[in-house]
Amino acid sequence: MDLQIVLLLGQDGITSGAIYALLALALVLVFAVTRVIFIPQGEFVAFGALTLSSLQAGKLPGTLWLLIGLGAAVAFADISWALRHHKMRRVPLILFYNCGVPILLAGYLLAVSPATLPQPVQVALTLAMVVPIGAMIYRLAYQPIAEASVLMLLIVSVAVHVALIGLGLLFFGAEGSRTTPFTDMSFQIGDAVLQGQTVLVVVASLVLIVALYFYFERTIYGKALRATAMNRTGARLMGISANLAGRLSFMLAALIGAFSGVLIAPITTIYYDSGFLIGLKGFVGAIIGGLASYPIAAAGAILVGLLESFSSFYASAFKEVIVFTLIIPVLLWRSLTSRHVEEEE
Amino acid sequence: MRNRLLLGAFLAALALGPLVLPEFTITLLNYIGLYAMVALGLVLLTGVGGLTSFGQAAFVGIGAYTTAYLTTVHGVSPWLTLPAALAITAAVALFLGFITLRMGGHYLPLGTIAWGISLYFLFGNVDFLGGYTGITGIPALSLLGLEVKSGREFYYLIWAMLLLLVLTTRNLLDSREGRAIRALKGGSLMAEAMGVNTPRAKIIVFTVAALYACLSGWLYAHLQRFVNPTPFSLSQGIEFLFMVVVGGAGHVWGAILGAGVITILKQWLQDWLPRLLGQSGNFEVIVFGLLMILVLHRAREGLWPLLLRLFPAQATRPRVAEAEPLARRTLPDNGSVLLEVNNATKRFGGLVANDDMSLTVRAGEVMALIGPNGAGKTTMFNAISGISPVSSGEVRFLGERVEGLTARDIARRGMSRTFQHVRLLPAMSVLENVAIGAHLRGRRNFLHAACRTERKEEACLLHEAALQIERCGLAEHMYEAAGSLPLGKQRIVEIARALAADPCLLLLDEPAAGLRYLEKKALGELLRRLRHEGMGILLVEHDMDFVMGLADRVVVMEFGQKLAEGLPEEVQRNPAVLEAYLGGVDEHDGY
Amino acid sequence: MKLKAVAIRILALAGAGGTSLVYADINVGVTLSATGPAASLGIPEKNTFALMPTTLGGQKVNYIILDDASDTTTAVKNTRKLISENKVDAIIGSTITPNSLAMIDVAAEAETPMISMSAAAKIVEPMDAKRAWVFKTPQNDALMAAAIVDHMIAAKVKTVAYIGFADAYGEGWWNEFSKVAEAKGIKIVANERYNRPDTSVTGQVLKILSAKPDAVLVGGAGTPAALPEKSLKEKGYKGQMYQTHGVANPDFLRVCGKDCEGTILPAGPVLVADQLPDNNPVRAVALEYVGKYEGTYGKGSASTFGAHAWDAGRLLANAVPVALKKAKPGTPEFRKALRDALEGTRNLTLAHGVASYSDKDHVGFDQRARVMVKIENGGWKLVH
Repeated sequence: MDLQIVLLLGQDGITSGAIYALLALALVLVFAVTRVIFIPQGEFVAFGALTLSSLQAGKLPGTLWLLIGLGAAVAFADISWALRHHKMRRVPLILFYNCGVPILLAGYLLAVSPATLPQPVQVALTLAMVVPIGAMIYRLAYQPIAEASVLMLLIVSVAVHVALIGLGLLFFGAEGSRTTPFTDMSFQIGDAVLQGQTVLVVVASLVLIVALYFYFERTIYGKALRATAMNRTGARLMGISANLAGRLSFMLAALIGAFSGVLIAPITTIYYDSGFLIGLKGFVGAIIGGLASYPIAAAGAILVGLLESFSSFYASAFKEVIVFTLIIPVLLWRSLTSRHVEEEE
Repeated sequence: MRNRLLLGAFLAALALGPLVLPEFTITLLNYIGLYAMVALGLVLLTGVGGLTSFGQAAFVGIGAYTTAYLTTVHGVSPWLTLPAALAITAAVALFLGFITLRMGGHYLPLGTIAWGISLYFLFGNVDFLGGYTGITGIPALSLLGLEVKSGREFYYLIWAMLLLLVLTTRNLLDSREGRAIRALKGGSLMAEAMGVNTPRAKIIVFTVAALYACLSGWLYAHLQRFVNPTPFSLSQGIEFLFMVVVGGAGHVWGAILGAGVITILKQWLQDWLPRLLGQSGNFEVIVFGLLMILVLHRAREGLWPLLLRLFPAQATRPRVAEAEPLARRTLPDNGSVLLEVNNATKRFGGLVANDDMSLTVRAGEVMALIGPNGAGKTTMFNAISGISPVSSGEVRFLGERVEGLTARDIARRGMSRTFQHVRLLPAMSVLENVAIGAHLRGRRNFLHAACRTERKEEACLLHEAALQIERCGLAEHMYEAAGSLPLGKQRIVEIARALAADPCLLLLDEPAAGLRYLEKKALGELLRRLRHEGMGILLVEHDMDFVMGLADRVVVMEFGQKLAEGLPEEVQRNPAVLEAYLGGVDEHDGY
Repeated sequence: MKLKAVAIRILALAGAGGTSLVYADINVGVTLSATGPAASLGIPEKNTFALMPTTLGGQKVNYIILDDASDTTTAVKNTRKLISENKVDAIIGSTITPNSLAMIDVAAEAETPMISMSAAAKIVEPMDAKRAWVFKTPQNDALMAAAIVDHMIAAKVKTVAYIGFADAYGEGWWNEFSKVAEAKGIKIVANERYNRPDTSVTGQVLKILSAKPDAVLVGGAGTPAALPEKSLKEKGYKGQMYQTHGVANPDFLRVCGKDCEGTILPAGPVLVADQLPDNNPVRAVALEYVGKYEGTYGKGSASTFGAHAWDAGRLLANAVPVALKKAKPGTPEFRKALRDALEGTRNLTLAHGVASYSDKDHVGFDQRARVMVKIENGGWKLVH
């Protein structure tokens, strides 16, 4: 094993790690705000990637129908709530956001041929279809039981995951897809070739992380989310709606997931069920960060990526065994060093 | 009575079922039985013990693979492989438990995911276990010379074993060790303070759950006569957890209900959806997922409690029978020093919560520790009782230095305490809650409990708990769920629990908060009586009338330091104390 | 929109409450992996059953199709259900080897003939009392592996690296291929595994590159088999690439694109049916299948997996009339007769070759059941 191989493996590990880090951040965010361990996080990666690839193949992605269906369900739930609480004035807005926007989107997609659109527009359309799904899932699956135990919320996550996997197979079929690369650039480093697309993954992940940082530090919604994460009851007393915070965090999680999917779809094949394993590794990162610390979660995710890359070189058949066995001492160390405050559920 | 009838009807239906039910229903019931075994272990682990595991499927795999390998390669009799499988599982569980159970919070579930995945890939990559392709030709079981081959024969084997497990599980939970396990869910602080060895309790439930899973796997291998890694993957592990939560994680019968509902629902969907929609395939999982979300929304505690509501009957909680009284500790001589705290300092990072504190408590006196909120009184309590040891300084109890000991070792030496934020198990009866306090006064372990050979000791423990409840004036509430009492009474239950430990020193953290006048008076009477019997009492309390009327001596704390010490009337006149109390410190409760 | 159809079905179900009239029909139970990891194989198989004949030997035939989600427990459960609830006369399935292996005991115990659609020779070998009830339509891995090794020898390949799925497919291929290759003097310099949904195989690829093999064989099925080949090309690998017949579907070509040009693989003749010489008996049968499939599911949609299901159907169509002479469907005698008739199949032309069974051989294929194919201009090209 020479230096070049070390470099290539390192680069590969960091690329995967960057994606895991993004997912880890989303998981930490969702957990901190809503206490939901969001197993379906990975599904947004698959949905993002496969929706984009459907658009590029000139097909109408099934995601669109999901968006319309979920939108209708959310509108139904919200309107019946509004009727019960005599807040009729909200109805037009509810209808517009949950039914109007998806239908407009559908109309647009039917009117143009998506395959011929420029790539950035395709990406934007993909995000426009996938991201609202996050908030809608929160509204339908989690909001009614927002106060339930962590275990309960986790099991609901499993159910959501099962349903989304089924939908993914229905929409996109069993075979995988790739999308056209954003860039054909490549760099020569010694004997090795560094693909521009790989660099793009890492850079874009960093940009997104920085953007999220500013979002949480500078914007009112970001601050509201942080406040909810720190103290739910306190935040509610300050007039921050837990429901709004929940929807917002799920929307961000969907955004991060779909964005990750769009990023890696050109360098690997994505399948309807790819999300689970990717999400799981992000989850490992998130847990290393104690589901609380963003920087440690990101570092943990990079660690997972590197472990994976190097173990696939040394003993590929045992890759998962190595990755997950080596995680245990790290977890143990984290668990023993972090001061564990007893939760009262 | 009606419960018994229902149970009898259920058992009769189980016994007669195979005579009338169609073949495939039997097949389904067999799988339900196998899944329910694993789920039962998870009820113990997750529902009762509060430890979430995604990795049970891996233990099922160990059971299945052990027998598959030994019977096909070495021709060992299946019945001999069962102890081997159980032994291997126990060894693996002890090892994994030793590592992962030390992890608190969210680290434990992830730890279980990690070894769940690792074991799965190990099964697939080990050549002598048949790799991913699997092992064929596992022999059928034979029982008394008869081959257990058909589904109907297997049915009786599986369900007899399952019912046996249900019985032992119920026995286990209804015992001293069972209460210790149930106490885990309330957080280890209280359990440790009552002398429960929580790491041991965790390892026990973890191992028992793993053994249940192993038994299920062993049966699975002989039913299926083929093993490969897929049935033992992480997703199956998640599915077991799913069954438990849907069925009702806190209930033994919830395991069977959950396994049944999930298995049958999947079957129905497979039967009916293709006929309704005209095509088969992907819709089953989608509808299954959506239905589960609905079920979970409607029944947050799972389906079993819903069923119970249909048949409202008094819960069968343990009752007290006449029994011999437990041996009492000989109390130290009146006036001798029980507790001596010298120059104790406790730091949390840069924050000094206790600064150079010293105090003593003697047998037969009530020492009150007072001070404004945030003065460090509870920190002092936690330092004395070993929950959060001092950073420097010494704590002597009965002349022995204890600042390095664990909470349970200190409890064993005769110190018992209550908590400011009540730490009772709300679903358990007052009697059972108080019996946790007597944990250290019994010695029969979980094996005795499972076989019911500890009934005599159990009766003594419950009798003792009942005595303490009566002593505290709560006899009428003995069989009620602790969570249903008003907060003030819950505090008294905490005192009864502490008394059940037969302590010589009692630490009470705000016992009078939330009590009404008459209740306070009764509490005062009780404490006076205890003092008279020679017990030492260290008391944190805000109610000045209560403290001043009761305490023999008072220590006043402010900002982690001792502000004053002396007789109640001296302290009340102390200008520094007056300043601290009237100086505008907030009176509402902090954390 | 579909409500009406649903309502009609509900009525039909209610009407067909009594099942007594079903007994005269022939019931064929099918369990396949339409979901889960093997879905890309199972879906074309499932689609194929819609094209099957509705009568066999003048009797109505019902296909009861169940999904086993690529899971062995479910496959066995399905098999038991088909046998005890649906009283099937024969079972077709499952898609993947572990599932088929697990079903053998159940089928044999119920004395029901079973036709597997998965590859491993272990399903029908060594022949014993149980396997007497089991037949299988896909070519043995060994036959395909030998074809690759022959091609390698002809191409003067001395060293080869293997990278396969970390599952029964990749493992089965490794076992067969390594056996044949070493016997023929080809040195295997690397043996790597990856998971079907892995997003990166860089580690494995670097290991392979550092071993400098003359050729690389990828043991994977469907689109996931494209990832190692693309990664190798990206890292500048110039040697010959081999794939297995598992990739023989149009989606693989779509995903792998120009990186897979020049790749060699063995496949059933159905893959290149239109390029077969006119005198090849398989041509007509294979073209018939492809025509029917693409007529229903669109141009370019046919795959070799669906053809395995089709062949299972053809085997039954050939054997049922013989068995009907001996007994009535729904009886143990009929199932026994059907088994005997299946075993008596001689020179039956299928989409994947010409099958002749015997009491020792329940695959029945010879060299005619495989062709070598090269990927050229984004299509399959028969290599002569």
